[in-house]
Amino acid sequence: MGAWRGLILVVAVLALAPLGLPPYMMTLLTEALILGLFAMSLDLMVGYTRLVSFGHAAAYGFGAYCSGWLLINTDLSLPSAVFVAAIASGVLAIGVAWVCTRSTGVSFSMLTLAFAQLLYAITFRWTSVTGGSDGLAGIPRRPGPFGLTALTSKTGFYFFVLGLLVAAFLLCRQLVNSPFGAVLRGIRENEAKTLALGYNTRAYKIAVVALSYALGGLAGALYAPFAGFANSELLFWLLSGQVLIMVIVGGAGTLIGPILGAAFFMFAQHQLSSYTESWAIYFGMLFIFFVLFVPRGIWGSVAARLRRPAADGR
Amino acid sequence: MALLECEGLTRRFGGLVAVSSVTMQVATGEVRAVIGPNGAGKSTLFNLINGVLPPSAGLVRFDGEQLTGLTPAQVCQRGVSRTFQLTALFPEMTVRENASLAAQARDAQRWLPFGGGAVFHRARAKADAALERLGLSHVADRPAGLLSHGDQRLLEVAMALAQEPRLLLLDEPTQGLSVEETQQAVETLKTLLAGGELAVVLVEHDMEVVFRLAHKITVLHRGAVIADGTPEEVKADPGVQAAYLGDFADAAD
Ligand SMILES: Nc1ncnc2c1ncn2[C@@H]1O[C@H](COP(=O)(O)OP(=O)(O)O)[C@@H](O)[C@H]1O
Ligand SMILES: [Mg+2]
Repeated sequence: MGAWRGLILVVAVLALAPLGLPPYMMTLLTEALILGLFAMSLDLMVGYTRLVSFGHAAAYGFGAYCSGWLLINTDLSLPSAVFVAAIASGVLAIGVAWVCTRSTGVSFSMLTLAFAQLLYAITFRWTSVTGGSDGLAGIPRRPGPFGLTALTSKTGFYFFVLGLLVAAFLLCRQLVNSPFGAVLRGIRENEAKTLALGYNTRAYKIAVVALSYALGGLAGALYAPFAGFANSELLFWLLSGQVLIMVIVGGAGTLIGPILGAAFFMFAQHQLSSYTESWAIYFGMLFIFFVLFVPRGIWGSVAARLRRPAADGR
Repeated sequence: MALLECEGLTRRFGGLVAVSSVTMQVATGEVRAVIGPNGAGKSTLFNLINGVLPPSAGLVRFDGEQLTGLTPAQVCQRGVSRTFQLTALFPEMTVRENASLAAQARDAQRWLPFGGGAVFHRARAKADAALERLGLSHVADRPAGLLSHGDQRLLEVAMALAQEPRLLLLDEPTQGLSVEETQQAVETLKTLLAGGELAVVLVEHDMEVVFRLAHKITVLHRGAVIADGTPEEVKADPGVQAAYLGDFADAAD
């Protein structure tokens, strides 16, 4: 199938990237993949279920603090710490989702934001665990017991991130194409009708929020050992807003789009910030341009164009 | 024994009694119309039956089991499907996807988070059968939002039917249709209901539609039942005639 061939091609190119790119580009690319995972996790909620979270940084920051704390204070290896942090984010999200899904629309969004701000505030109070305003620093990448030392090098870590992103993408893709995914689409288009048809819509929403937070937490859990630190900025509303922009610019409801959106955001930020202090203003204008003129986002528009000639040919 | 039994069903909204001590039965194979002017409490009665609203008093029994206290989703799982007075569809999905999602709701594996080829296959077969019965096969691949209003009303019925219910609640299925569309819809519904395997409650404004489809009629007035019987009995009822000033006589035959 064309989709599989495209996926294999992209993964092959990304896998060969360390051979050709200078180290600082590899650092940027690694961060872009981590952010891509983060944005893709949000797409499950925003693009597929129309549950707009204004506080998705909660997942990212929580995952980052979790894996950072585990790597500093326990003997857990890098993969185990990352895995535990992702699961913890998902479990936490069940509680969050249980509360937030009591309301819909803007109040849902506000509750997710409130929850992220709550975590943000906690980092300044529970300083013995979070390191207060300094955050957690000097987070090591500890090799595992199975000789997984390769994962801790710069290139090895890149492959670790790439592997997890591909696995998460495949997981999400089969989810959105499953019967469960069909129900999510129903909730997106008409929740009241979906409920009337006999679906317990709240249970579906809680499940998708939990998975979304778990994958967002996984991204954060990767960021902490990538950067070597975790601080309260990872829970701040600014990041929640930025990841929402990545999803919309890349193309909500496409999974691939948000990954592209994250990469685009990363590189645009990198390029713009080397020219001007006020790069955020230019990025804001770029965002407005997309909302007005490319509402389907980068990948949404590309995919629509790819699909049309293919449909005619058949 | 009746499939659906409502006993002393009452619902208050503040000081307003929207449904007042309604008792009625519907048996399998029977089409019962519920009629009454705007605001008589017909839609509220549906909301009480399928669990959208809790009753202030009284209860609903379905096949001997009490429905009161169940959620709409749970009521639907037991075999009660309904259509809405205001068309409610998934506008960006195709007509077939709409019906298929409706059918999937009664599948034991409706929530399967991976694969699901068999689930989709079963749902699609039921969807296609329902679309066929409503004469919508030729628009199956069109987005539901692009259908004519008349076809959208029929799709509502097809979606309910794709769930293979035992009790079908139809809330004004011909609302907003032109005269020709109504005629067509009535013909389609008549063949549909002739099968006899369904119990149907039909809320309708159009008296002609009611007299052509219903075996029994319940007349609501300000939430209360003022008449209950065959179409002939109801037409002859002096209380009904007083309440409706001979509207029914005009519509008869
Ligand atoms: N959710 C509600 N809250 C308050 N009043 C309601 C509600 N639903 C219906 N009503 C009132 O109950 C009465 C019956 O409404 P309804 O059942 O929609 O009538 P019908 O379907 O027969 O036209 C109306 O006076 C309506 O305003
Ligand atoms: Mg009504």
